Amino acid sequence: MWDGIFTGLTTAIAPFNILMVVVGCFCGTFIGMLPGLGPISAVALMIPITYGLDPSSGIILMAGVYYGAVFGGSTSSILINAPGCSSTVVTAFDGYPLAQQGQAGKALALAAYCSFTGGTIGALILLVAAPALASVSLSFQSSDYFALMVLGLTAVAAFSGKGQVLKALLMTIFGLMIATIGTDAISGIPRFTFGNIDLIDGISFLLLAMATFALAEVVMAVLKGEHKDEDVPMDMSSLGSMKLSKEEVKQVAPTAARSSLFGFLVGVLPGAGATIAAFLAYGIERNLSPRAIKEKFGKGALRGLAAPEAANNAASTGSFVPLLTLGIPGSGTTAIMLGALIAYGIQPGPRLFVDNPEVFWSVIISMYFGNIVLLILNLPLIPYISRLLIIPRPILIPLILFFSITGVYLVSFNSFDIELMVLITVAAIFLRLLAFPMAPMLLGFILGGMMETNLSRALIISDGSLAFLWQRPLTALIMSLAVLALMLPVLGRLLGFGRLNTESMAVADKGEG
Amino acid sequence: MTLNKDHIGGLIFLTIAVVYGYFAHDIRMFPGDQFEPFNAQTLPIALAWAGGLISLVMLATAGRSAEPKPTLVNLDFMLVGKLMVLVWLFAQALSWIGFLAATILFLLVGYWLLGERRIRTLLLASIPFAVGFWLLLAKVLDIYLAPGKLWQLVLGA
Repeated sequence: MWDGIFTGLTTAIAPFNILMVVVGCFCGTFIGMLPGLGPISAVALMIPITYGLDPSSGIILMAGVYYGAVFGGSTSSILINAPGCSSTVVTAFDGYPLAQQGQAGKALALAAYCSFTGGTIGALILLVAAPALASVSLSFQSSDYFALMVLGLTAVAAFSGKGQVLKALLMTIFGLMIATIGTDAISGIPRFTFGNIDLIDGISFLLLAMATFALAEVVMAVLKGEHKDEDVPMDMSSLGSMKLSKEEVKQVAPTAARSSLFGFLVGVLPGAGATIAAFLAYGIERNLSPRAIKEKFGKGALRGLAAPEAANNAASTGSFVPLLTLGIPGSGTTAIMLGALIAYGIQPGPRLFVDNPEVFWSVIISMYFGNIVLLILNLPLIPYISRLLIIPRPILIPLILFFSITGVYLVSFNSFDIELMVLITVAAIFLRLLAFPMAPMLLGFILGGMMETNLSRALIISDGSLAFLWQRPLTALIMSLAVLALMLPVLGRLLGFGRLNTESMAVADKGEG
Repeated sequence: MTLNKDHIGGLIFLTIAVVYGYFAHDIRMFPGDQFEPFNAQTLPIALAWAGGLISLVMLATAGRSAEPKPTLVNLDFMLVGKLMVLVWLFAQALSWIGFLAATILFLLVGYWLLGERRIRTLLLASIPFAVGFWLLLAKVLDIYLAPGKLWQLVLGA
């Protein structure tokens, strides 16, 4: 393990990679600040740039963007009550009231410190947990992998909220269906190409991610007429002091530590993600607080700001655990990173830390660097970065559209991809209007190929019998968890747990995280 | 009976599953593949069945759903349609007039569609940006961007 850490450290402290962390955090912060654009869109927009980099630098850049976007989302939540992404919706509950009381500087600083704490604790646990889990998963067979993918996909549906389970399941199946378009990797036979040569290689995940997230988010904003909204004026001179008193630090320190641990654990669960972690941490902290502080929640409580901020950053780190160790993304954003790693020819999973230790460890270590960058560089610059929000929407929207379509075009140089993007975006808008979540579709699409390969191997080994699903205890255990995950919403409603999650799920359904 | 979002969604996915399932049976296979435990049709057919069944469950339970009737008021479909046409035209323009000219036109029209009418802003936000981005791609990152068929026809280059 120490050799690996040393390899990762050597890669992560290479000047170019440090530059990538800094650039990633800055770009992420800026994109994350823009209302409507969250970490998924931010990471998707960066993918075309990373194709020109080596895998370690590319993934480091994307990890930086991820953190930056979550941090940027907090900034717009606090300053203008417009969360940049769903995981920072809770931040606005107490962050914006603080800003209205002339304590925007303190709120921003507290958000940054707690994000740092969450990210740091998350990165430290990841440092220990990821290799341990990866060593265990080296003994996994095709049937276990298939079961794990089923678990990942059902968990996404299970966490999708009240009344959304069927929709999430349908979207997952839709994603799996789209993944079957193109040449079958096992037999080499073209499927659903209808004689179109442009579909022989299938639909690229970048195209799908851009069309269903970056492009669709912007088009939805136009559809709702949000581009005509008056920009909220921001008075940067009245941010107030960024210093926290000793008493305030004492008050929020246990909250940040608790929420970080909790957030990490929630983040590890496939499909749960930063949004649910933030909502649950906020709820728990409100219940744990003494009556006097409890009454301040929603009116500018420091604990109410600290809990979601620590939790969402720790959860962002936690979502890397299933990605790096099992090859199963824990959130929509890590699903995009999985696609990017596969495009590099790297297969995330238990062999990643054996075959590509420099990627595995440098990502983990650069996460810590990312947190430091956010704290020491981004925080003092927030008043200046926020000025970029002044760019009028009629100028900003065509630019985001341009970056989304050019990002896809510059990878394939095929204008058919842009035409396909238009079609997929139109379909995505209609599905969004019908309240169908997009993240399960993307997860289904990305896991589709691997799932089919492992299912095929398992079925061939067991001579066509489905007994492989319960013959190995591990496969049986994972499949049981998958069934349990599917039953969870029904059980939750029967046992009366529904109340806890309704609000968080409603926001999480937007799919960012 | 009024249709709510779940009814419409269920019907759409049922149609998708039926059409997908129909074409899944059309996937060609190598001789003897039909006797293998897993072939190119296995997963698509399973997905079609799963999609169809879940759609039916959705349709059956849609009446109890809290999902409201979809409302299309205050949604600017016209503008979105124009933007989508603009993106499609950008795709066509790339091969005819090249990346630089297509980008300038795309941005100019995009700003215009979204309500920007000041000529100075329109030009300043499109031409320098497009030229700078083109220089970055073509000269700094050394990415080949085809000049466009039209210029080749006109200039004979």
